[in-house]
Amino acid sequence: MEKSRRSFLKIISHILGGTLAAGILAPIIGLIIHPWLKETIYGTEDFIGIGNLDDFPVGIPKKMTVTSSKMDAWNIFEGLVMGSVWVIRQKDNSLKVFSTNCPHLGCGIDWGNDVNKFLCPCHEGVFDVNGKVISGPAPRDMYSYQTKVENNTVFVNYKNIT
Amino acid sequence: MANKFYEWIDNRTGLNTFLKIALDEPVHGGARWAYVFGSGLIFLFILQAITGIVMACFYSPSSTTAWGSVYYIQEQTSFGWFIRGLHHFGSSAMIILAIVHFFQVFIYGAYKKPRELNWITGVFLLIFLMGFGLTGYLLPWDQKGYWATQVATNIIGTIPVIGDYVKVLHQGGSDYGNFTLTRFFTLHVFILPLSLVTFLFIHVALFRKHGVTPHWKISEKLLKERVDPFWPDQVFKDIVFAMIIYAILAGWVFWKGGAELQAPADPASNYLARPEWYFLFLFQLLKYCQGNLLIVGTVIIPMIGLIFLFVLPFIDRTSSNSPVRRIPFFATISTGMIGAIALTVLAIHHDAHDVHIIHQREDAEIQAARAVILAKKGIHPEGGMSIFLNDPVYLGEKIFKENCNGCHKLNGVGGENGPDFTNFGSREWLFGLLKNPKDKKYFGDSGIMSPVKLPEESLWDISEFLLSQSGNLLNTNIDSLERGKELTLKGTCAICHPIGDINAKKVAPNLTDYLSETWLKDFIKNPDDQKFYGTKNKMPGYEGKFNANELDSLVKYLLSLSKDRLLVSECIRQEPVKNTNNVSPLTPNIYFGILTEKYLLASK
Ligand code: FES
Repeated sequence: MEKSRRSFLKIISHILGGTLAAGILAPIIGLIIHPWLKETIYGTEDFIGIGNLDDFPVGIPKKMTVTSSKMDAWNIFEGLVMGSVWVIRQKDNSLKVFSTNCPHLGCGIDWGNDVNKFLCPCHEGVFDVNGKVISGPAPRDMYSYQTKVENNTVFVNYKNIT
Repeated sequence: MANKFYEWIDNRTGLNTFLKIALDEPVHGGARWAYVFGSGLIFLFILQAITGIVMACFYSPSSTTAWGSVYYIQEQTSFGWFIRGLHHFGSSAMIILAIVHFFQVFIYGAYKKPRELNWITGVFLLIFLMGFGLTGYLLPWDQKGYWATQVATNIIGTIPVIGDYVKVLHQGGSDYGNFTLTRFFTLHVFILPLSLVTFLFIHVALFRKHGVTPHWKISEKLLKERVDPFWPDQVFKDIVFAMIIYAILAGWVFWKGGAELQAPADPASNYLARPEWYFLFLFQLLKYCQGNLLIVGTVIIPMIGLIFLFVLPFIDRTSSNSPVRRIPFFATISTGMIGAIALTVLAIHHDAHDVHIIHQREDAEIQAARAVILAKKGIHPEGGMSIFLNDPVYLGEKIFKENCNGCHKLNGVGGENGPDFTNFGSREWLFGLLKNPKDKKYFGDSGIMSPVKLPEESLWDISEFLLSQSGNLLNTNIDSLERGKELTLKGTCAICHPIGDINAKKVAPNLTDYLSETWLKDFIKNPDDQKFYGTKNKMPGYEGKFNANELDSLVKYLLSLSKDRLLVSECIRQEPVKNTNNVSPLTPNIYFGILTEKYLLASK
């Protein structure tokens, strides 16, 4: 009698203890996996404003710094320099925006004003004004970004590189 | 397979023997509900440890990040509010249970020879428990925690000779700052837990050595005869009790909506601090020990109490455990307890009837709600307070209190030279003005305008029309507005007040776009302009005294005073976050005015 009472108590204790542990662990796990459920660190903008359309001369590349803000959990960091881009305004007022990083090994590309070409100093990569490889070791044309113009302001989609 | 593995482990560790020793402990006199409190405390401690560790994954102890990280736990994670609630209210539950455990042990005489050290380690555990409460209160770095803890560290400072040194050591400097948080954090998550676990280990080991102290009426014979094993007889009761505790605690957290997080600590504010409820009696005691007597409340009385607890097992030498034989000790402990309860009740009663404190609590709630809304846009690296720096309403309030409140009363506080600004710009406010401009609440004796002698209905109509010009009146009633327009333009108002042409001048203020942002700004700059009061003006002009931003903030603040207006302000209206993946469902455009009301209602 006493024995069966105790084995019954043991089973019940296991069940109750298990339920209690589950009830406590569920929200705990829910909180721990938070970074799976939600982005905790991200740029606040997809399209980043880089200047007025009028600031860009037609046909001549202009180098612009891209600054944006970043959310890091509770903090916002504003005015962070993300990098820089080459901007070329076309005759029809559309824009071409290239990364300043060389598609070969990532050196910074310069604009050669005298030769009217993009020049990479590292391994003598040469690109034309449309970013096409002319000579040198680069495996592809210069990286470019999508752009849009709103209210005369030029925006670059800095997250999407093509 | 599992058995083999278990055997392998057992062979090498002696786990089985250990478990046997741990679980087969005989409980003389039988398992009892009276013994569940100690294990309930251990359960709660484990719960505190688990919830604490998870929160430590998110928390960041520095004066610029603490509030933000706690805000993040509370508002941006899925279960953070619940876990934090468990941890917050869990500490209260531990205190309550510790008191019950304390009394159970005391009533049963379980501190007597040979259990003196059980009792003494228990008193240490109680002290550590209060240390947890004290250090944990500061960690969110919100108004409440910041100011309440100031009181505590100042109390440490009153200890003779060493006080100041100890205080500086705790604060990590002469004032509150980064090191205060790192030190309190270290105390809370390393030093106190280690100390508590060590003493708990001794406490439990000693308890195991001496066994339970049975009820004084249980006879020796029964003690010998009735012996239950710890597992499962007592464990079952302990588990049921733990479940009850957890259910109550979780229910409480849900009912309360989690633990409170007030606005970020503002060292420049004058916040009236109140400690956690279990420290209120000490706090109240200080009210009676002023001046030179301060030390009596801060050090002497608490010390006497503690010393009494420590020496109790040595002075109570009665051989029987029956309470009847220990009346002097019962009397002492009860007096102490009743005193503490009375002080607590007095403190709560006082605060519940102090208008100042009630106001402050309401303000604190609004401020907290606002802080959460502003923080959603991200907190600048300068720290929690920075969310307010660009908030016009906050800045406006400050400017109002510094420049305007001396003449304009607001919610019962301030001077009476100018009109009362309580509910300024609402229908009710304007109605009152039209009805009796010479009322003390408006222009008083210096008023020149005579009461508008029209039926009340018409006065409401006129208010509706005049206020609708500013463009941010809530729930405009078109019919009333039209009637009001008719009355204003064709009635007697227009004889003195120009209306329709912003630059027109007559004997009384121009009412075109009355109480709009531009109207208010022009007015504040030059109230003696001919289009306003002209030569009859009594208010100083603020042209050149405020910069554009300050004036803008002040006006926004003034407009936020009325319940009838929508506060259209870039800063408070949430701009939707552009990255749609990260938008919490709680982020839609919330207007501060509406939210305030919601919070005020909820708090009543
Ligand atoms: S990195 Fe530009 S050519 Fe090699």
